[in-house]
Amino acid sequence: MSKDYRILDFIRRSRTPHENHLIDGLVDGRVSRRDFIRHGSLLGLSLPLLGGITTAAGFGGMPSLARAQGAPGATIRVASSVPAATIDPVTIADAGGLLVMQQVAEFLCVDGPDLVLQPALAESWKPNDNGTVWTFKLRKGVKFHSGGEMKAEDVVASIDRLADPANSSNALSVFTGILSKGASKKVDDYTVEFHLDAPNGNFPYMLSSDNYNAVIIPASYKGDYEKSFDGTGPFKIEKYTAKVGASFVRNEDYWGPKALPERTEFTFFADMQPQILALQGGQVDIINQMPVLAGVALLNDPNINIISLKSSAHQQLHLRCDDGPLKDPRVRRAIALSLDRDKLVAGLMKGRASAGNDSPFASVYPSTDASVPQRKRDIAQAKQLMEAAGAGKGFKMTLTTERYLEIPEYAQLIQNWVKEIGIELDLNILDQSAYYGDAVFGKSNWLDSVMGITDYGHRGVPNVYLAAPLKSEGTWNAAHFKNKDYDTLATSYIAALDLEAQKATAGKIQNLLLEETPVIFGYFYDYLTATAKGVAGVQPTAMSQLFLDKASKA
Amino acid sequence: MLSFFARRVSLSLVTLFLLSIMVFLGGQVLPGNVGRAILGPFADQRAVDALNHTLGVDRPLLAQYWSWISNFVQGDMGTSYIFRSPVAPFVLDALGNSMKLAAVAFVLVVPIGILGGVIAALNLNRPLDRIISLGGLSVTVLPEFVTGIILILIFGVWLRWLPISAAWPKDAGFFTQLYYLILPALPLFLVLFGYIARMARSGMIEALDSDYTRTAVLKGLPWRTVIWRHVLRNALLPTITVIATQTGYLIGGLVVIETLFRYQGIGSLIFTAARGKDFPMLESGILTIGIVYAVATLIADFLYSVLNPRIRLGSEQ
Repeated sequence: MSKDYRILDFIRRSRTPHENHLIDGLVDGRVSRRDFIRHGSLLGLSLPLLGGITTAAGFGGMPSLARAQGAPGATIRVASSVPAATIDPVTIADAGGLLVMQQVAEFLCVDGPDLVLQPALAESWKPNDNGTVWTFKLRKGVKFHSGGEMKAEDVVASIDRLADPANSSNALSVFTGILSKGASKKVDDYTVEFHLDAPNGNFPYMLSSDNYNAVIIPASYKGDYEKSFDGTGPFKIEKYTAKVGASFVRNEDYWGPKALPERTEFTFFADMQPQILALQGGQVDIINQMPVLAGVALLNDPNINIISLKSSAHQQLHLRCDDGPLKDPRVRRAIALSLDRDKLVAGLMKGRASAGNDSPFASVYPSTDASVPQRKRDIAQAKQLMEAAGAGKGFKMTLTTERYLEIPEYAQLIQNWVKEIGIELDLNILDQSAYYGDAVFGKSNWLDSVMGITDYGHRGVPNVYLAAPLKSEGTWNAAHFKNKDYDTLATSYIAALDLEAQKATAGKIQNLLLEETPVIFGYFYDYLTATAKGVAGVQPTAMSQLFLDKASKA
Repeated sequence: MLSFFARRVSLSLVTLFLLSIMVFLGGQVLPGNVGRAILGPFADQRAVDALNHTLGVDRPLLAQYWSWISNFVQGDMGTSYIFRSPVAPFVLDALGNSMKLAAVAFVLVVPIGILGGVIAALNLNRPLDRIISLGGLSVTVLPEFVTGIILILIFGVWLRWLPISAAWPKDAGFFTQLYYLILPALPLFLVLFGYIARMARSGMIEALDSDYTRTAVLKGLPWRTVIWRHVLRNALLPTITVIATQTGYLIGGLVVIETLFRYQGIGSLIFTAARGKDFPMLESGILTIGIVYAVATLIADFLYSVLNPRIRLGSEQ
C-alpha cells in the first residue's frame, strides 16, 4: 500500500516532537507497525489516531477491537486462588485479592494482552518535553458504584495514597524515586498532572493495570474496602465471603458498553489441583491462572481452551558478583552457557515460554534489541571460560531457592547441566517465607545467597527489572551487582521517551549484561488461563487480571 | 470420682497453658515478619514497617503474648492481621464445619468399623476375618489425598453424582449439607475404618478368650446374651479411647481433605494462618483445637471410668 503524505503531514502538524519522531520511524521503516502501536499508546496517542497513521503510512488500519459478541445474561464461574489478605487497594499484593478488586475498580489505562496501553478512566495522556510531567485527561460522566462522579480529586487521592510511605502501600516500591506524595496535582475536574522525581518515559504503565494497586476509588476512602467494594467497573459486588468466594452483578450505570454476563462468580481454591478437577467436573468455567506444570492434564484436553499470553514473567537465577568463585564474570558466563534454553522452553515449560537472553529484555517489549545474538548452550566454550578463570577443576556451591511453580524442577536441571563444567551444586529448596525471610539484606536467603532462583511476575515495561534487581543500589539486588556503566544506561533507558533511543540503550544494556551475567534469564513464561469449551470473550492479562465484560457461554 | 476429675481437669489446664506458650513462641520463629508476609517480598521496607507498627507486632514479645492470652481467656480471640476483623467468628465457623465433617465421618465409621471388627473376631482366621483385617489395613495406609482424588475423579468428574467441592451453597439445609459432605467424609472413613475395626477385633478376641466369657458360656447363657452383655462391653473399652484420640485428628488435622475439597474447616484455617503469619488466628485456632482435644480426652476418660471402675479406683488409690 502507498503512503499518503498529505494526511501524514496533516496529522504531524499537531503532534509533539517525540510523537513525530515515532511517526517518522514508522514511515521510514525503522519502527515496526506493532512497536509503533505499542509505543504510540504509551505516548498517549489514541487508538483511532494510531490506526489513521498506520493507514496513511501504508500499513493498513488497526485490527478491529470488536470481538464477536456472545449471548448476554450468562453467569460466568471462575476458579481463583484464595485472597491472601484483606482486600484493600493500598496494601493488596496477591493474585486472588487483586482479581476480586479488579472486577469492581478500574485503572486510568489498561495494559492489554499485547502490551498496548488502552484508555480506561483516562481518555488520553501526554508527557512534557523531557518526561518529567505527565498530564492525564479523565473521562467525563464516570460514576462510582456508590453514586458520585469520578473526578480529578479522586484520582489525585487514589495515587497520592499509594505514594505515601505512611500508608503501608504496596505500590510504594513502584513509585519510589518516580512519584512522591503530593506530586499528583489536580488541574481541573478532569485533568491531573503528575510531577515526577526524575524523567520517565514509561510512566503511564505505572498508572495502568501494570501497577495493580493503582485503581481509582473515591477520595473519601478510609480503609475499609471490603465494606463497600466501591469502584467504577462494569460489575458491582453482590457478595464477598472471605476465604470462600465472591459474586458480582452487571453494573447498569457503567460508562462504557454494558457487560454481557449478568453475574460472575469467583470461587477461591487453596490449591491448583482442586481447580483443575472443578473445571473438568463442570463446576467452574475458567481457571484464571494455571501454571504450566500443574496444568499439564488440561493442555491437551479437547474440552478445555487454553488462552496463552506471552509475558515478561520469569525466574531470575542470580549469581553473587562480589564473593567466591562467581566473582569472576567468566565463571558466570560459563554457567549461563551450560544451560540448554531450548530444553527449558520445550521440555520444562511444554513450549509455553520464550527463551531468555540473560537480560530482562523479553521479546514482548518493543524496545528489545532483537539484533543482539541469542546465547545458546556451548559446553566447550563454557569449559574454556572455567579454565581461563582458574576454575577448571570445578567447585562446590549451593543453589538456594523457593518451592514455587516449576522452580524446583528448574533448579534440578541447572544442577545437572553445570555438573558438565565441573560445578557441583547442592540444592537448598525452601518454603517461600523462608526463602524471602525479611526481604532485606542480611536477613534473607533470597538476597544473601550465593546463587538463587526468584520468581518475578510480568511487567508491561522492563523498568522495575532494570532497577531493583540490577542497579548498584537496587533493593532486590540479590546478585550484588555493582556496575556504574550499567547504572547510567539503566537510568538513561528509564528516562527516554523515544522508542529508538530506548532500543539503542536496550541493545547496550543487553550486551553489557551478556558480558557480566549477574543474572541468568533462562526463559520468559507464558501466562495461561484455562476455559471450558463454549466460553468466549474472556480477556486475561499477564498481571492476573481477568476482564469478563465481553464473556459469554454457549 | 470428683477428685479424679479435678486432677484431670487441672492437668488439662496446665497442658493448655503450656500449649499457648509453645504456639506463641512457635509462631515467632517462623521466618519473615507479619508486614512482609502481608505485603509480599517486593514491598518497600517503609511500607512494611508502617504496617508492622499498625498491627502492633513491633512491641516486645511478652507484651504481645500477654495481650493475646489475657483477652483469649476472657473470650476475645483478637483481630486477624490478614482479614482485619475479629478472629472468633472465623475460628468458631471453621470449628463448627470441622465438627460437621467429623460427625459425618464418625457416624459412618464408628458403627461400621466396630461391626467389622466384631464380625472379624467372630470369624477369626476365616476368609471373612482376612478380608476385613487386610482390607481395612490396606485402605488405612492409603493417604487421604490419594483416596480423595480417586473418589473425586469417579464420583465428581466422571459420574458427576456428587459435588467435588464441600462448600455448600448459602442457606443450604441439613440434607443439602449432608450431600456435600459425603465425598469428603469417605476418605476419612477409609482411613479410620481399618484402625477402629482392628481395635474392636483385638478387644473382642481378648474378651472372647477371657475367663468371664468362658464362665458365661458354661453357665449356659445364650450366645447372643454372652456377646451383648459380657463380651462387647469389655471389648470396646480400648476402641473408645481410640475414637476419642481420633477426634482430635478429625477436627484439627484435616488440612489435606479440607484443601482438596475446598472445605472451610479449622485445619485449613490454621494452615492458611501459619502461611500468612496471622498470629491471632494461628494461636487462637490451635488453642481452640487443644481445648477440643482436651475435652474429648476428658469425656473418654469419663466414659472409660464409668465402664471400668478399676481405672477410677486405681487412680484414687
